This record gives sequence, structure tokens and C-alpha cells, in this order.
Amino acid sequence: METTECELISKCQKGDVAAYEDIAAKYYRRVFMVILGVVHDRDDAMDVAQETFYRAFKNIKHFKGSSNFYTWIYRIAVNLAIDLQRRKKRSSVDLKEDMDEVIVETEASGSDPFRELHDRRLGEKLLRAIDELTPDHKAVIVMRAVEGLSYKEIGRIMGCSEGTIMSRLHYARKKLQEKLGTDL
Amino acid sequence: MMKDCAEIKRLLGPWIDGELDADQAAEVQLHVQGCASCLDEKSRLERLESSLKSLLETKASEVAFDAFWAGVRQRIADEKSWHTRAVDWLRGVLSPPRLAWAVPAMVVILVGALSLDQFFPGWRWAFGPTNVASVESIDGHGFNVALLREAKTKTTVIWLFENQENDDETSVEPVSGNVAF
Repeated sequence: METTECELISKCQKGDVAAYEDIAAKYYRRVFMVILGVVHDRDDAMDVAQETFYRAFKNIKHFKGSSNFYTWIYRIAVNLAIDLQRRKKRSSVDLKEDMDEVIVETEASGSDPFRELHDRRLGEKLLRAIDELTPDHKAVIVMRAVEGLSYKEIGRIMGCSEGTIMSRLHYARKKLQEKLGTDL
Repeated sequence: MMKDCAEIKRLLGPWIDGELDADQAAEVQLHVQGCASCLDEKSRLERLESSLKSLLETKASEVAFDAFWAGVRQRIADEKSWHTRAVDWLRGVLSPPRLAWAVPAMVVILVGALSLDQFFPGWRWAFGPTNVASVESIDGHGFNVALLREAKTKTTVIWLFENQENDDETSVEPVSGNVAF
């Protein structure tokens, strides 16, 4: 019989690391994507994601189950990512290198050369445009785009109202559309 | 009243996200069906988010769980007890570069505190009454003189007493003898 998430969490709260491994396997990629959207650098994102899961395990006794586990862990992840992004002044050279890697990988997976060229240019401009947003705006648009979370869920994660989330999303989308121009 | 394109474009995001109430959603849908500009805007918004998602998914797909989990497990294993963290903190505070400044600073503070009497005689009285007893002098005729100054009442008491034969300096007995005021 498959163990439910609730049972796994209950085991984790008793210090069962093996049970936590199952939970981590389920969520790590989604958490990593959201973090990467905020911090951009792959190594930083990996470090923040691992720290997120470590802190979540350390504090899992405090998880009461009143919200979804992913909402709870996203809150830790987003706070750590925003905190890192605010502290770290990244050089545009590093960002360019990371972007190029992503773009090459995206290109290799496609089949239509014209489409690939367009996607490559779009990806390049998109990442550059996102990097100009504030960490709060990045987090909101990434959570919406990647996870399709509701405004209420994003608000719970970010600790602000649905109205604020709607406003931030509107601003972020507008800024990105302006930056991308006709490439979109 | 029908909303204009600017108003509809402002609602496109929440509409795509399914965050509008039924009436507003129906109104936006009706407008978009008949407006090429708003329809284009809707498509641009959808492309924006799908491009972002695809980009991040590509990157995340490279992250193998084993490598990721090894890092998390290592952090859990490395978790330190509170006293180990306290020792680490002390080591940080008492690190050689900090000690290099702290030791001379402490010496300066101590020397300064001990020298205060020289520059500000009686400064200790500022912190409350102090009784000071001292032997000011010993004359050559077997008499000792002791002084007691009391700050609060500004009283000075002078004792004159004779030297005792077989005086034992280690004795805790009160000095007896002829005491004069």
C-alpha cells in the first residue's frame, strides 16, 4: 500500500530521514525551479534548495498540516532565495554564462531550426528581463508560471494579501512584455 | 457598462489565472472574442509564462535527485548540538585577529581605570559613600595614627594608639590599647 504524504510527514516528525527522502524526491525539482527563477545561478539554486529541505526537516515538528506541505516548503524556499538575491550582487558576466547554458540546452532539444532560433533569442531576453525585476516580483511570477499557484496560495507563501500578489504579477508581466517586445 | 480595452487588458492576467469572479470572467471572454488587440495580448501573456516555465524546466531536469539528496542528508548529518555551536561562536569571537585588538584595548581600559585617581581625586565618591581607612604615618615614639574619612557626613576620625609588644600581624583580634579621639 502506498504511504500517504500525511503518514510520511508524521514519520518525519519522529525523525525518520528515509521517509523524508520520499518527500524530498517528490518536491525537490519543483522547489528547485522556483528558486532558480529567483536566483538564476544553478549552483546558488542548488545550495538554496538543499538548505530549504534541510531547514524544513529541522522544523518539520512545527508543521501542523493546516496548509499544504508544498506551500509550507515554498515559503522557506522563497524566503531563502529572496534573501540570497538581496544579499548577493551578481555580476552580469556570470548571469550571461548561465543563460547561454540554458539556451544551448533548449536548442538541442528542438527540431525546427527557425523555431529554435526564436526560442533561443526569447530565452536570452526573458532571463535578462527577469533579472531586472525585484526578488519579490520574480518570486511571484515564477510561482505562478511554474506552479500555477493561486493568488491566495502565493499570498500565503509570501506573507501578503491577494491584492498585493495581483498587483505584483501585473507589474512583472508588464515589465517582461515591455522588455521582450516583438520577440514574444 | 462595457469595459474598454485598457481595462480588459488589466484584467487579462487574473482572467488567465482564473482569479476573476464569474461575471467578470464572462465579460472579459466576450470582449476578447471580438477584439484582435486583446486576443493578441492574451496570447502574449500565455507565451510569456509558457516560455518561462519551459526554460526553468529544462534547467531543473538536469538536477539528479541522488546528488541533491546527498547534499541534504549531509546537512542533516552535520547538524551540530547547541554547545558545539556555542563553542564555534566563541571561537569566532575570540579569533586571533579580534584578540589582537581586544588585548591591548583591555590593557588600556585597565590602566585608565587605575589611573583615574591621579587625574580625578575622589572620583569613587561619585558612586556612593566610601569609607577609607589608612595609616597615614607612624611616629618615632611608638604611636600609630589611623584615619577614617566618611564621605556622606564628611567626617574624619583620627585614631592614635600605642604599638603593642609582641604584635601579631596575622591576628584577627581587634587592636586594643589606648585609643584617643
